[in-house]
Amino acid sequence: MTSSLRTRLVIGIVGGMVLLLTAFSLTVYILIQRALVNQFDAALLSTAQILASSIEIDANNIDLEDVQQIPEFNDPKHQTYYQIWEQDGTVMARSPFLGTNDLPRLEASLNTAVFKVLNARNDPPQRAVGLKFLPRSEIGNEKNSQQSANDKILTLTVARGAGGLYSQLSLLRWLLFTASAVTIALSVLIAAFVVRQGLSPLHSIASEIAAVREDDLATRIGTASIPDEILPIKNRLNDLLSRLEGAFKRERRFTADVAHELRNPLAGIRATIEVNLTRTREITEYQSALSECLEIVENMQKMVDNLLLLARLDAKQISFQGEQVRLAELVNTCWRPLSKEAIDHQITFDNSIDPEITCETDRQNLAIILSNVLENAVEYADEQGQIRATGRQADGSVEITVSNTGCRLNSKQAAQAFACFWRGDSSRKDAGVHCGLGLALVERIIKALGGCTTVEVENGGIFKIHLTLPAK
Amino acid sequence: MRVLVIEDYRPLQQSLTKGLGEAGFAVDTTGDGQEGLWYALSNDYDVIILDLMLPGIDGLKILKELRSKGRQNHVLILTAKDTLQDRVTGLDYGADDYMVKPFEFRELLARIRALVRRSYRKKNPQIKVKDLRIDLTAQRVWRGRNELDLTPREYALLEYLAMRTGEPVSRTDIWEHVYEFKSAASSNVVDVYIGYLRKKIEQPGRPLLIHTIRGRGYLLGGQT
Repeated sequence: MTSSLRTRLVIGIVGGMVLLLTAFSLTVYILIQRALVNQFDAALLSTAQILASSIEIDANNIDLEDVQQIPEFNDPKHQTYYQIWEQDGTVMARSPFLGTNDLPRLEASLNTAVFKVLNARNDPPQRAVGLKFLPRSEIGNEKNSQQSANDKILTLTVARGAGGLYSQLSLLRWLLFTASAVTIALSVLIAAFVVRQGLSPLHSIASEIAAVREDDLATRIGTASIPDEILPIKNRLNDLLSRLEGAFKRERRFTADVAHELRNPLAGIRATIEVNLTRTREITEYQSALSECLEIVENMQKMVDNLLLLARLDAKQISFQGEQVRLAELVNTCWRPLSKEAIDHQITFDNSIDPEITCETDRQNLAIILSNVLENAVEYADEQGQIRATGRQADGSVEITVSNTGCRLNSKQAAQAFACFWRGDSSRKDAGVHCGLGLALVERIIKALGGCTTVEVENGGIFKIHLTLPAK
Repeated sequence: MRVLVIEDYRPLQQSLTKGLGEAGFAVDTTGDGQEGLWYALSNDYDVIILDLMLPGIDGLKILKELRSKGRQNHVLILTAKDTLQDRVTGLDYGADDYMVKPFEFRELLARIRALVRRSYRKKNPQIKVKDLRIDLTAQRVWRGRNELDLTPREYALLEYLAMRTGEPVSRTDIWEHVYEFKSAASSNVVDVYIGYLRKKIEQPGRPLLIHTIRGRGYLLGGQT
């Protein structure tokens, strides 16, 4: 089966036309043939009946005098012949133009006609009608007459040349065949043209799709009028383009954000190295510069690790190990590395989570979540501020809430907290150390653990992040 | 020349302060936008190096505030924002130059020097005052055919006087444009360094170059 839609449609249309035309031609031919043959046979029968009625029985003789008056039998150009048999098969009379040929005796019931086609070897075909009849009687009583007539039942065959009829039928066949052939040939051309025109919107769409560039996915398909049948395809393609455009935009934005976040540390490393190479210095200055560069590299490495973790989470390449985790204990563990910085900024920390609350989850990844949330709280809490962790267990889930004072965001800004590289810039303490990936990671890991994350800002500048996890 | 660096990324801020200081600039530094605006409005800086994404007030707001208050300081935006729109916006807000991080430190120095020359309407990177020749790029000085050995502070003082050749320069101006605020504020310091400079520049048999204008300060070269 060809894969070309156009070829399929043309073959289908032309095939259908051939079938319909064949059926139509055959029907027309059969009807006309039947009508002509019936007409011919009716005329032949009429001639035979005239012949039969012109035969008279006179005593024991049969009078054929009237037959001589029938013009069809008196002129050979009419090609009409007869032959009459007595009941015992003796030929009683025959057309003088038959020569040495005999007509077949067609057996029929009394007063019924039998038709037959006679095909002589070298002559045109003839149609014949056979008739069994009682000739007319001139004298005698009716009973005797009837008895006598019964003895004189005659069989008559009248044949007539049907060359004209069959020539007409032959001409009709050729006419129908030629007309059908021409119609089919024309239908091939018309079908090819119509299919080509009908499929042209597909070519237009294909051209428009081919014109879509990967750097300009804002293009949409089908600005011209599109047939209803193709409209769903156009709409689905445009939906696909919209999704692709969105994905590409996010990808480009993400790449730009990553590049942007790397520019500052790279500038720091480069400036540190270049400035220290402007002159010969004491070894301690070089050591200091190298330490500075190492610190920058460590921060860059942390950012790259976070990006890698995000990518792996998106690709579902992280496996989780479930175990019973005491939340209060894990929060304290995660707080320990941050306590010094909190003390430096006179920030107090209160862990109010009930020590008995447990959760069956992946300890290592929950630790990453809590570390990021607490680090974020220390980063954005005000001097002498407060950070508080609370927890509750209900309906098969546990919820940890970490809040910090000193939030300068409104609810709308806080809702962006989970976006990659988003930071509450105005409250940043240390540019370059935090690149805005922490809460994005928190959201993705929580989701992967089967939980969810929400944030809220309360009056008085209290930022709250709620972490909900399934208890089991 | 006095430069203000408003940059919140600490490692870069430190390197800029160190590098510009070693290049002979008096450098003030801050990592906070609000504080940076206060510095810029409080002093007459020759060049302000301004980051855009800052805590407190962002760089563009600082620039807008400076221009709205009629400050003519030359501002060089130094930022990680690299799109054409960012550059156009920065320059349209009134910046005099725009550099994208990471950058080459030598280029930054060259651009700052160019902005300083523009501040004092000096196109030529070499200034001649009678037989005194100052190469602003190489930071070298000749009297006649003899190259003079100046300390960075002496060179900075001479460069500032040379930029304003032919006009009296007050001690306050010298203090504000040559000395860092963290050094001890004293008019004597200026006088002492003028003394050091005279000893190295003025030579017997050659015309006097540094003149004291009573009550108005010092003047390099003749009065215009």
